Amino acid sequence: MKSFTVSNLMKCGLAGAALALFSASAKADDINIWARSSAANAVNHMADLWNTTHKDKIAVTVIPDNQMVTKLATSVTAGDVPDLISFDLIYMPDFMKAGYLIDLTKELSADPNQAKVAKAFRELGTFEGKIYGTGFTPDVSILLYNKGLFKKAGLDPEKPPTTLAELKDDAAKIHALGPDIYGYYFSGNCGGCNIFTVAPMMWGSGAHLLPANGQDKALDGPGVKEVLQTFQDMWKGGMVPASAQADTGANFQATFETGKIGMQGSGGFAIAALKDKHPEIDFGIAYLPGIKAENASSFVGGDVIAVPKGSKHADIAKAFIAWELTDDAQLNGLAKNNILPSRTDLADNQFFKAEPRYVTTAKAVGIGQTPWVFHFNDMVNSDSSPWLQMLQTAIFDGKVDDAIAAARESLKSIASN
Amino acid sequence: MSLTHRPSTGFAYLLPAIAFTAVFVLYPLLQLVYFSMTDKSLMGGGGYIGIANYVRAFNDKAFWQALRFTLLYTAFLTPLLMGLGFLLALLTMRNSPLPKLTRGIIFLPVVIGLGSSSLLWFWLFDQQVGLVNRLLVDLHIIAQPLAWFTAVGTGFMAICFSITWKVVGFAMILFVAALQSIGQEMEEAAIIDGASYWQRVWRIFIPLSRRTLLMATLISAIGSMLAFDQFYIMTGGGPRGQTFTTVYFVYQNSFVFFKLGYGAALSIILAAIILAGSTLQVWLSRRSAGS
Repeated sequence: MKSFTVSNLMKCGLAGAALALFSASAKADDINIWARSSAANAVNHMADLWNTTHKDKIAVTVIPDNQMVTKLATSVTAGDVPDLISFDLIYMPDFMKAGYLIDLTKELSADPNQAKVAKAFRELGTFEGKIYGTGFTPDVSILLYNKGLFKKAGLDPEKPPTTLAELKDDAAKIHALGPDIYGYYFSGNCGGCNIFTVAPMMWGSGAHLLPANGQDKALDGPGVKEVLQTFQDMWKGGMVPASAQADTGANFQATFETGKIGMQGSGGFAIAALKDKHPEIDFGIAYLPGIKAENASSFVGGDVIAVPKGSKHADIAKAFIAWELTDDAQLNGLAKNNILPSRTDLADNQFFKAEPRYVTTAKAVGIGQTPWVFHFNDMVNSDSSPWLQMLQTAIFDGKVDDAIAAARESLKSIASN
Repeated sequence: MSLTHRPSTGFAYLLPAIAFTAVFVLYPLLQLVYFSMTDKSLMGGGGYIGIANYVRAFNDKAFWQALRFTLLYTAFLTPLLMGLGFLLALLTMRNSPLPKLTRGIIFLPVVIGLGSSSLLWFWLFDQQVGLVNRLLVDLHIIAQPLAWFTAVGTGFMAICFSITWKVVGFAMILFVAALQSIGQEMEEAAIIDGASYWQRVWRIFIPLSRRTLLMATLISAIGSMLAFDQFYIMTGGGPRGQTFTTVYFVYQNSFVFFKLGYGAALSIILAAIILAGSTLQVWLSRRSAGS
């Protein structure tokens, strides 16, 4: 009896060990992806779709936006990285230069879907001829306008402004509706918000804004002065609420939701948010205008996907990247959930037919740009950046030429580091 | 020598504390000093550069501006918190129900996180939906709602107001404890001698709670020198970067510009300034206690 028990126990032990080994090997095929919090919704939809159709499962770890760079840098240094990473595309040049990412040139250059990804993503994912990442969950800047206020001001709600001059005229007419009704809004103390919504008006008009190195041009060409002057005129004319000057981006969305703002540069994300929270606001979506009607442009933001150096399941990670570019993933993972696809050929899809505003936004991905520069934070995002200083000095102090000259010098100095 | 009298036994008792301090204080501090002498970046790379970061900080106008602003903030807020805290302590030092309730209400904001309270006040001061503006307009103190954070002066006042609301209860509680520890008989003797209320405050309460006053001042001054959350949330360093505090500047350099080496050097400089200020304050308090 005793020997039987021992034997059984041994068998059980062996079976348990085998099960544990099996589980460990099954678990070893599970991969994880880090995604920043602002893109978590889209990444979760993609991960869910992948998990329903693939044996190797993917788990999403959401990282607060402002901790992503620090965490990735620390994890690469410590040699304990996620298998995949989805992050703000603007950091791509810095990450590629730092050697944090795996070279995907072989896989992506052979993938026919890669050529259909928005140009801005393809450019941002390339460094010294090698491809390190591709488009994942884009968002673009657009002009958001309140159709109700357009009607009240005697403007055609189906004809949003297509030039800077029209933008100012429409803002003035809307502000004439009452002292607490404003024609335009922007977050005046937020560098990141304005590179997203103001810069496209400049580069759409022909300007080159940020220098890639110390010898490159900065704030050069038509558009810079004209856009700043337009904003200064609107500010001086009281068409923008005074609170805009101090807004660090906290009110970026909330102010338009009051229903007292005629127009605002915003992002594609505003569509779902407004429909959900403020169905009473009748709003339209248009391209951000430039000096001339053909100067419309956009900022292609959102997240790239890449494989960090040290990924323990790089093969599965690469398979996921190839999959996320397919029609199935782009349409059923993103478009079906009202999220823009990163492939421009899928902008006009069956899911967006019921909501043409999404089509406008998706098409903006195709005409948009993203600056390819190192030190983007120093130049733009930081609270003391030359970009922000220029906007504030030009728009709120009225010193347009001085502001441009000072910012140009600072930008070149940062780029030469 | 018995076991309890052996020096090694005493050392063994100290060992956990020494190990804790070495791992969690000393090692990170030494690492910080080492980092401050490198040009390490969060984006990789960087090597030893000696005292170049310190020289750079010395010549960095933005750093000096942030330090000046932080000192101004500390110099303005510390006496305000101490004075108001002491007055509130005088009002609520008795242990009857109403003062106890008042103490509890005033202390309540202390347990709220600074980030949350800053966000709360940011919205209360909002030009369009803020209650502060509504109240001031209704009381005819201002004609139109103010955009508080568009100017340094109004932004500074708004932040000082919010911080006073947030932390004055802490100073009050410390002072209440100090005042309650003063013997009742001493106050009664002063009353019999004909001392007025303010004479008793000036001649008995303040001198006998001086140690607590100095300690609370030190804690408050250090807290103000390390101010970050409220400015990050409420002003974002604006307008035109005029409300950057030193810690905010360190954060910018370390985690926005990714310059870990320079950020470390700035942290060391700030720590040295706080250490020097605290030492001076402790020395002055000991000297005044001795005299």
